[in-house]
Amino acid sequence: MRRFVSQGGFWVGALAAIAVALPFLVSSTFAIDIFIRVLLFAFIGVAWNLMGGYAKQLSLGHAAYFGLGAYTSTILLIRYDVSPWIGMLAGGIVAMLASLPIGALCFRLRGPYFAIATIATAQVLMLLFLKFRDFAWGAEGTTMPNLGDAPLMMQFDGKAPYYYVVLVLLAVGLAITYWIERSWMGYYLVAVGEDEDAAEAIGVDALQIKRNIYLVSAFLTALAGTFYVQYIYFIDPNTAFSFNVSVEAALVSIVGGIGTLWGPVIGTVLLEGTSALLQSWLGGGHGGVQLTVYSLILIAVILYRPAGLIGILTAAYDRVIAGTKRLNKVPLDD
Amino acid sequence: MIGEEMMATTWNSTLAKRRNRRDFLKKSTGAIALAVFAIARKAFAAEPVNIGGLYPLTGSFAQIGQGCVNAAKLAVQMVNEAGGIKSLGGAPLNLIVSDVQSDTTVTRTETDRLISAYKLSAIHGAFASALTLIASEVAERAKMPLLTGSSSDQLNKNRRYTFTPFSRASQFAEAQLQMTKLVSDSPKVAVIFENTAFGTSTSNGLREQASGQGVEVVMFEPYSAGLTDASPLINKVRASGANMLFPVSYLNDLILIIRAIRQNGLEIAINGGSGGFVIPDFYKNVGSVAEGLLGVAHWNHDVNADARKVNENYKKQYGEFLFEYAGGLVAQTFMIADALERAASTDPQKVRDALSTLDVSSGYAAMGPGGKVKFGPNGKNIYAHPVGVQWQHGDLATVFPKEDARAPLLKT
Amino acid sequence: MLTTIAQAVVNGLLIGGIYALVSIGVTLIFGVVKIVNFAQGEFVMIGMYITFFLATSFGIDPLIALVISMLALFFIGVLLQHFLIRRVLELGDMPQIFLTFALSLLLVNIALLLFTANYRTVQTAYSETAIHIGAINVPLAKLIAFAVAMLLSGLLWMFLHGTDLGKAMRAAAQNRDVAMLMGINPDRVYCVAVGVALALAGAAGSLLMPFYPAYPLVGQIFVLMAFVAVVLGTLGNITGALIASLMMGVAESLGIQFVGADSGLIVVFVMLLLTLALRPNGLFGGWSR
Repeated sequence: MRRFVSQGGFWVGALAAIAVALPFLVSSTFAIDIFIRVLLFAFIGVAWNLMGGYAKQLSLGHAAYFGLGAYTSTILLIRYDVSPWIGMLAGGIVAMLASLPIGALCFRLRGPYFAIATIATAQVLMLLFLKFRDFAWGAEGTTMPNLGDAPLMMQFDGKAPYYYVVLVLLAVGLAITYWIERSWMGYYLVAVGEDEDAAEAIGVDALQIKRNIYLVSAFLTALAGTFYVQYIYFIDPNTAFSFNVSVEAALVSIVGGIGTLWGPVIGTVLLEGTSALLQSWLGGGHGGVQLTVYSLILIAVILYRPAGLIGILTAAYDRVIAGTKRLNKVPLDD
Repeated sequence: MIGEEMMATTWNSTLAKRRNRRDFLKKSTGAIALAVFAIARKAFAAEPVNIGGLYPLTGSFAQIGQGCVNAAKLAVQMVNEAGGIKSLGGAPLNLIVSDVQSDTTVTRTETDRLISAYKLSAIHGAFASALTLIASEVAERAKMPLLTGSSSDQLNKNRRYTFTPFSRASQFAEAQLQMTKLVSDSPKVAVIFENTAFGTSTSNGLREQASGQGVEVVMFEPYSAGLTDASPLINKVRASGANMLFPVSYLNDLILIIRAIRQNGLEIAINGGSGGFVIPDFYKNVGSVAEGLLGVAHWNHDVNADARKVNENYKKQYGEFLFEYAGGLVAQTFMIADALERAASTDPQKVRDALSTLDVSSGYAAMGPGGKVKFGPNGKNIYAHPVGVQWQHGDLATVFPKEDARAPLLKT
Repeated sequence: MLTTIAQAVVNGLLIGGIYALVSIGVTLIFGVVKIVNFAQGEFVMIGMYITFFLATSFGIDPLIALVISMLALFFIGVLLQHFLIRRVLELGDMPQIFLTFALSLLLVNIALLLFTANYRTVQTAYSETAIHIGAINVPLAKLIAFAVAMLLSGLLWMFLHGTDLGKAMRAAAQNRDVAMLMGINPDRVYCVAVGVALALAGAAGSLLMPFYPAYPLVGQIFVLMAFVAVVLGTLGNITGALIASLMMGVAESLGIQFVGADSGLIVVFVMLLLTLALRPNGLFGGWSR
């Protein structure tokens, strides 16, 4: 048993087991709602992190893909009776296609230029969807048709099924990140992120790498968009292309640990957890408290731990592992 | 001697003790009696009935949301002071408020939370049509009755649990169009509206009904909420040759538009619709420029004596007049009380059924325009209609239609 | 028709003056300190609230409050540079972008907590009056704002080209290391640059109050326009920012007039994206990053 504890895999497995069991252990639907939000934004953060963390392309416009995914699946559902499961994949594809011209435009820009350009693209999409009412309901938006309990149409009775859907999404996102991290693509990504010119100098096609990771990132973000509108039963341009989504995607990754596998998860747990605590202490009615706290946390992280809070956790984890290895009389440099 | 004194002392102290014991017994009996009575009373006193109020207390609709909650609390107070729900043993109403932060996501979560965390019998809210639509969806799935003054016509489609006691966006449009005849015989109207659920649904109603009402629409223009400058918009209005302007907007851009009209020296009649136009803050921010401007509302405080009474109450507590949405929700609270009374149960399903058979023509529940409330199969009040209002001396007076007019039209 | 176009152009120029004050601040900071200040709009907002409170509590006219507002914000700018910005200067893109971004979030939400989302307006004697030049309507408050904005821009130009400190700033902007070798203290120069930039934002706030309401999110609208102007005019180029701002004001106004009132922003963004596609370094070339 002790042998297992020293393996990283054990902890992941334990975490997974708890995650799967959670809806059975907690009865409050409000709590499950919080968990769903945590998982969803962790997933969006993981998607963002591929671009922003590894390749260091700091996008503040990921809401563009979130919204495209959401609208694609909704249009297919309401106008053509297509199941949102298929619509979700279709949305992912639409997002990937959109990422190509957007990338082509924005990748020639560096740093803050890039960020501003991505903000602009998400805003333009929002404005376009606000303007064109005919195929996408314009500013009024639309609600999802009430199909009752219809798992094949991504509508469930009760919250637990939604929880599992987004848990699977997060697992997929983490798995993809893990796989990329360890692949040749991962190395090139980090090289481009660290110093694009140097990477180019040794023969890495930076543009190709950036384009590819953007495809993945956009695809995943779009899946989140579909899930989200199915969960809240509603879509409109302000919700789908919300700047807050773009911000939170970046925020959770930076606070948790930019460019790391678990960073976004840790960041989301911290930020959403804080948010939930604040809400129960203060009730409603104190607009601005949540974001004030978020921004203070972000500033603190940037000034004192730019690598993210995962550093603290990794240090603690290492100590535990070292402790268990000592118990097993396993040599420490294993 | 000493013995006598001792005896006297002893006797005195015994007397004193006896007296004290008597007093003590008297007092304690009293206390015990009170306690028994209180316990008995509590056992028989009715559990409060929970109703939920969803309003934006923060974010862009905060000003209005706060007023709504104030009115909601006042309404519950009024119901309880009148004896609560008699068929439930005088049970008082207990209002549980939730801040939806002017945000669609938060509305979704909060509606859910409110319904699942508390044993609610009904809810009302959420002012902005976009937010109410979401709350309505959640309520529908949770089989919780929702009353709302929000005007979006979508709220009456495919729903069994949403009840709208007041006029709909399409009716507002009709009223606004009819009111143009008050100002001009050949009205040429410019419609400018915010790109929001409220703006688009109301303006659509305007466009669809215009020709039927003999009104020519010479400009029909959506604009992005959050203007930096209303002057280009006003420029367009001027160029269109309109003699009347219908701006459909929440407070924010209305201020800019009205001021820009002044700044650019545009002489034009204005009917500001409802929304941000008919709240005290509008006058506060725009000042005397607002005098004489026309609007429409689904409720106004001078409609009848009951409305005036509530308005006086509200003004005393909060220092400004009771505005449209807030007054409407006071009436809604009384409608819920009426339904609870007839259902004699706190079960939301029974309350919903009682609401669907609601039929009142007196009292605070019926203090809206038309003076009667009865819901059709789609949750619409068959008697609801809007009234035309005008800013007169810093307050809103109802001036249209003739049956509802409480003040003469000020000529500007 | 001609009148309509002329009026639209005048409207655009007038609001463009305000955009200019904000964008010049952004481009100044970028040119000298090499940081994009995402929070610039919030300093406009602070300027607006300062002006509002001075007007309602002491009856001070916004044009006089302008001076106080500029001084206060200059001071804030120096503090900002010295205590916050300085610490991320060597840290790379992410901290630099997200520090001012987080600051922006923080300021908006503190304002929400302190002042609520209510709109605050100020009425002055000239809030509602307009001058008529032929058939063209020129609102007086906006004309004053434009004039002062141009005046301040002119003063800034003179400062940068005529004074030693100004020249030191331009030197540090062009090449920080060589400037240091020449004995210029970069931190001092940066402090002045950020101070001046925020003072301009404060000025914008004061000039806006007679005709625009103050509320916590007001800065976000103006800063968006400012960013586009800064990119269009080439990051770091002050004259560029000024010209681009005026262009954008006019483009937005004409867009609203002839494309659609909900298309003003779309026109502006399309301008931005086209510029990024065709001339990524802005219309005036110059410093690239």
